[in-house]
Amino acid sequence: MEQLLEMAGKVCDSAEIYSIDYADKSVFFENAKFNNADSKFQSGLSLRIIKEGKLGFAYTRNLTDRQEFLQNALDSLKGGVGAGFDFPLTKELPRLAIFDPSLENLSAEKMVQECDRVCDIFKSKTDAEIEMAASANTGKLRIMNSSGTDVSMKSSGYEIFGHIIYPGTGVGIWRALMSKGFGKMPDDLVSEMIDLYTKTSKVLEPKGGKMKVLFMPGSQITFNWRISSGISSKSVYEKVSPLAEKVGERIFHEKITIEDDPLDDEFPGARSFDDEGVACKPMTVVENGVLKSFFYDLDHAKKMNAQSTGHGYRTTRWGGDRLTLKPTPALSHMSIKPGKKSFAELVKQMDRGMIIENALGFHSGNIPNGDYSVGVNPGFYVEKGEIVGRVKDAMVAGNIYETLKNVVDVGDKLYPSSDGAWVPVILCDDVSVATKN
Amino acid sequence: MFDKLRAMLSKVDADYADIRYELKKDTIVSFSGKELTEIGANSTDGYVVRALKDGGMASVVFTKEADAERAVRSVMESAELIARNAKKPAKLAEVELVQGAFIPALKEDPREISMSEKLELVRKYNDIPLGHEKIATTSITYQDIIREKHFLNSEGTQMREDLVTTRIAGELIAKDGDLTQNLRVAAGGSNGFSTVRDQEDYFEKRTKIVLDLLKAKPVEGGVHNCVLNPSLAGVFVHEAFGHYSEADLIENLPSMREKMKIGSKLGNQVLNIVDNATMADQLGFYKYDDEGVPVRSTQLMKNGVLSGRLHSRRSAAEFGEPVSGHCVAQDYRFAPIIRMGTIFIEPGTQSLEELTAALGDGLYILDAKGGATAGENFTFGAQYGYVVKGGKVAEMVRDINISGNLYETMKNITAVGNDLVLSKTGGCGKGPIMQTNMRSCSGGPHILVNGLVIGGA
Repeated sequence: MEQLLEMAGKVCDSAEIYSIDYADKSVFFENAKFNNADSKFQSGLSLRIIKEGKLGFAYTRNLTDRQEFLQNALDSLKGGVGAGFDFPLTKELPRLAIFDPSLENLSAEKMVQECDRVCDIFKSKTDAEIEMAASANTGKLRIMNSSGTDVSMKSSGYEIFGHIIYPGTGVGIWRALMSKGFGKMPDDLVSEMIDLYTKTSKVLEPKGGKMKVLFMPGSQITFNWRISSGISSKSVYEKVSPLAEKVGERIFHEKITIEDDPLDDEFPGARSFDDEGVACKPMTVVENGVLKSFFYDLDHAKKMNAQSTGHGYRTTRWGGDRLTLKPTPALSHMSIKPGKKSFAELVKQMDRGMIIENALGFHSGNIPNGDYSVGVNPGFYVEKGEIVGRVKDAMVAGNIYETLKNVVDVGDKLYPSSDGAWVPVILCDDVSVATKN
Repeated sequence: MFDKLRAMLSKVDADYADIRYELKKDTIVSFSGKELTEIGANSTDGYVVRALKDGGMASVVFTKEADAERAVRSVMESAELIARNAKKPAKLAEVELVQGAFIPALKEDPREISMSEKLELVRKYNDIPLGHEKIATTSITYQDIIREKHFLNSEGTQMREDLVTTRIAGELIAKDGDLTQNLRVAAGGSNGFSTVRDQEDYFEKRTKIVLDLLKAKPVEGGVHNCVLNPSLAGVFVHEAFGHYSEADLIENLPSMREKMKIGSKLGNQVLNIVDNATMADQLGFYKYDDEGVPVRSTQLMKNGVLSGRLHSRRSAAEFGEPVSGHCVAQDYRFAPIIRMGTIFIEPGTQSLEELTAALGDGLYILDAKGGATAGENFTFGAQYGYVVKGGKVAEMVRDINISGNLYETMKNITAVGNDLVLSKTGGCGKGPIMQTNMRSCSGGPHILVNGLVIGGA
């Protein structure tokens, strides 16, 4: 890396090298049986260069010829992608506890045994069809640049996922544990799934209309995508964010506080620097419903005369191959602050309403505008504070800037959302539900 | 290359093993509004090894040749672990050996078009919407992605194939006061750079539609009868039915598998569905899948009755059904999974006018934006639509999202038009380790569907 950086330094104004080396191991259970295993060993280098205000970019899995690699980046300068920013000098980062060495040698057998244990509980308590998966990863990331930054991290992550499916439907209830090291699927998650499953065996076809809707963690990717779209410096710069002029204004109900704390190493995936080598810091995005700040990468910070908030990540909404992606602003460590009510207490507050367990089609619709229109997958119907059954064909629709103003209460427990955020359940009033009746 | 792969494969002590090496070449030109945000050409490469031993089947991905040994160790450990634990041993359907290479004929090879020509073409298209005051921004990306695949298995199959995908895709965003509306643009295909040329009129038309959307009303939520245009019919058949033709999705769901038996009546009499990736000059075209099996045209539904399924070698053996050559990976970073190739509803006899007349009152909805399937439920969005009154197409509506149920909705397709259009770009995500298939092709004629639940706004 040093040699490549030196070579680049001779022909460019500045340069950055991003290097990754990752190992993953996964086991999969279908119909409560272990039937697939996969592992991955992936590494590579990515180079960004700046010359005369233009940005060049290249990447490779196997660095066989440094000159050719550098030439690839130089060739891409010709297109004229502007780079007003420079690579930062980052030093003295906080030390985070993000690596559990035991994951490097965690046997697939141990993951299989844990999946078997949980499968057995589901089998004994439900008639569900059962899927489970567990995966462990360890990796190294290093970023060097010509401003003198040389930062690196070694991290680990573990996930176990259980899914209990109503027979004949392929639809079910899932929960996941995400941690830095190996862990057992917590008993409370398992019993929460079984309890919900047991109460919702009966299929109902309720009338639609405006009602209370309880958004479960699996459905909240619907909100998260639209929140991060609205608050991204990229959307503000492109003039598609409805929040451009609303810093300091109330955009959501006062019970909604959204934070982004990359340094909190209680959670897996904590970071002391982003994918551009900028130091991470905690940030309050929305405080008691009031918009506090947008988030920036280096490029958009420069364009908008601001500072990078350390949110330059090589990702897309769908994930993607970070080696080949350039950094863009991403709300990487979003969490919604939990409230004080338990799930059971929130259900009691619903005279008539729908619990949306997972949202189907969260990725479609007018995301910049905050609109959503999602299928319940499944929905649970509530009458007089009791869950009375399950709903198949129904859609929940609205605009997050209205729905999240009508918050009744927020749950007291944090769950991982499928996009990496941490969220409590959220009860909203006056949400439109379309059903067959 | 094959000698190197053969040497790696010889280290795998299994009943069956295969290795795939791919060199992947990506070219990208991307605009965000007037600004060029990305341009470049790069290549990456990597290996996938799969092993079957004593009924345990596992896979490993690695990107460094130096990792070959630990990768082989890892895949053997996994396969042996599954063999010890699995209640049902995996088997592979027998197939004929393949010794072949397939390099597709292209109408202009994107590798031979200069970067500056690509840049100018995208800039020209991008400038069309940007010339209008109410277009807030655009996001337009040109890509050519070339997968140069080398495949070898322990049975003696040796296969080379190039998959060349060229596309221009993105969205136009219009804004008026607080209201923003977006519309997708897409052009491209599997047979060369010519598929992205001459799109000026198309960009003009899309610009007009997104500007019109600023004046359209949100659709009313509830149950509607609808005519779907071919793009939407394609996504509909992909989401509402196609995924459950993929054998791996139902293999281990015993009750779904029971409902999806060959011979089950799932759809209306008028419905014939086929997956035919063998036709050249369309997005989904390929010769061999990532198990080295030649792809076959597969009739999935005939007169509403389930008549076939998409398979890997493993699922074909499990179901006792013929292999179809549909086991495909996104690229060298993934083991293959079962994928639709080119799925479409076969055309019927009725014109669009006849369909809207049959509809009477309802909606005419057009162009897919995002769909999803989970179990029996599916959703998809339409980019825009029109209210139909007394068989006549009237005012424009927006914010159209639909949900439905596999078993019910296929029976509610009551009439099939006489046209056929296949999609030019794709992007279907699937799997516990998410893979995107950018050559996922779907289509159909105009169709009439009764009783769709629309979310409204």
